[in-house]
Amino acid sequence: MNDASLPARTKSRQLYWILQVAGWGLYTLVKYIGAATVLGMPWGTTALELAIFGCVGLAISHWLRNFVRRRQWAALSIPKLATRIVVASFIVGTPLGIATQISDVSALQDPGPVLHEYAPALRASVTVPIQALLQIANWAFLYMIWLTIYFGAVGLREYRTARLEQSELARALQLAELRLLKSQLNPHFLFNALNTVRSLIADNPSRAQNAVTRLANTLRYTLSSRQDELVTLSQELDIVSDYLQLESMRFEDRLRIETHVPEDAAAVHIPVMLLQILVENAIKHGIAELPSGGLLRISAVLQNEMLILQVENPRPLVPIRATHEGIGLRNAQDRLRLLFGARASLDLDLSKPAVTTARLRIPVQK
Amino acid sequence: MKAMIIDDEPPARRELRRLLTDFPWVEVVGDAGNVDQAAEMIESLTPGLLFLDIQMPGGSGFDLLTRLEHLPQVIFTTAYDEHAVRAFEVDALDYLLKPIDPARLAEALGRVKSAEAARTPQPDAVLEQIFVRDGARCWFVPLREVRLLSSEGNYIRLSWGKSKPLLGRALAALEQRLDPNRFFRANRRQIINLDFIENVELGVNGRLHAQLRDGPEVEISRRQARLFKTKMSI
Repeated sequence: MNDASLPARTKSRQLYWILQVAGWGLYTLVKYIGAATVLGMPWGTTALELAIFGCVGLAISHWLRNFVRRRQWAALSIPKLATRIVVASFIVGTPLGIATQISDVSALQDPGPVLHEYAPALRASVTVPIQALLQIANWAFLYMIWLTIYFGAVGLREYRTARLEQSELARALQLAELRLLKSQLNPHFLFNALNTVRSLIADNPSRAQNAVTRLANTLRYTLSSRQDELVTLSQELDIVSDYLQLESMRFEDRLRIETHVPEDAAAVHIPVMLLQILVENAIKHGIAELPSGGLLRISAVLQNEMLILQVENPRPLVPIRATHEGIGLRNAQDRLRLLFGARASLDLDLSKPAVTTARLRIPVQK
Repeated sequence: MKAMIIDDEPPARRELRRLLTDFPWVEVVGDAGNVDQAAEMIESLTPGLLFLDIQMPGGSGFDLLTRLEHLPQVIFTTAYDEHAVRAFEVDALDYLLKPIDPARLAEALGRVKSAEAARTPQPDAVLEQIFVRDGARCWFVPLREVRLLSSEGNYIRLSWGKSKPLLGRALAALEQRLDPNRFFRANRRQIINLDFIENVELGVNGRLHAQLRDGPEVEISRRQARLFKTKMSI
């Protein structure tokens, strides 16, 4: 249970007791006024007896509430619940009805005087057992109303929390999707690319046109790809080459590229955007950190039904700032695990001095 | 006004140069693509204004500023960097987001002009402000607001407002560049700002003690006491 739900619980518990005391108090008070004024019963003993019945009634209703909570009646279907409410009301109503019949306040439920006035013929048929049954029915009816109100309140509360939870869930989902989109879009690349385009418009208009096309391709590919999608390595290489052309315009001679992918390897299926992320990391944490840049090498080879894909880049001897490549890399590893289980792997090899090698192993799909 | 552009991407440098042709009073005297090259060029060309990219190979724009002896006015340029923008909430002239909006550039240059007009002319050798980095925070510290500079090994501890940032330089080297009319070497380890002196008392050991506003009491060494008296009587 979290902290936020605690005050709400205390609040609903308070409300429950306020309604209990007010309801039973009001019920007893109305009865008392009736007994003392209309029937002219002795006020002292009547008040005492009614107070006792009120307290016992409240106590039983509270016990009943704990009982139905323990048995989880709120989860039942409406017909089942209705049957149980009627049966339970008669069960708790019976002893209370008999007790009322024995007590002095039984006169309150006695239909005798009314019948005497309007239907004298029926007066004789109201015997003591029938009077007792009427007392029982009266109590049972009271508990039916009580339980109906109780389940109505519980249902309303549950409906409201469910609606709240639903809207919160929807919001959380939207946020997660947005974050994913943002991480895929790589805003740093996007704005730098736009700046390059702005510069090229004056320097070299045809290169600027080319850059816009490359940028559109890269964005379309990023936005339309799904997390679980597979593409051939050659498809992925097309988009990586678009991306690298854009980065070459930014870094000019600081970025040199070498690609070695044989035809059989290019036909293998890999998760979409995976090579792209490795190449982005190689530029961000390698080339961009080095004043004179360096060589980015992409190579692939087929070995024992496995595709081995490598991205190599030079790196500064001392890392300049804490690297954030953890997130992109971990996301890539998660996707690999979901798609291929333990058969695929992705790791960063830092064993060579001043060179980072990202190595991806993927089983060839038949 | 002499200006320099520091950015690791050649197209970005060209683009800014082109945008600056609309402002003939800004003369771009050079550009650099990394921190080492930039530091060298700034010391020799002494520009009055820097356009500085934050993410660069071989250290960030902030790293460059902490290294500089000659600190010009700075306008940061960045493509997308929330940290940089946040650093600006503390103190700086302005920052521009790339691609640069010409109207925003004009606004930033307007600020440079008014800052320049508000500043009292000083001999070039005198340092007016200093760039300090303390953990994740960065400040441009105007030296006239610093009340005390204390030597701590190879570092200098600045007493500035409520902060006490550390500067990666030796006190003796910085002393040459301080305004001699404002700063005074109180003892082997400390330099005080005369504007902050509240009162001066003769201590039990027979030495002078200067009480600084908002700051500690500083002992003036016997050797410096005579010089101090002459200075204060002027």
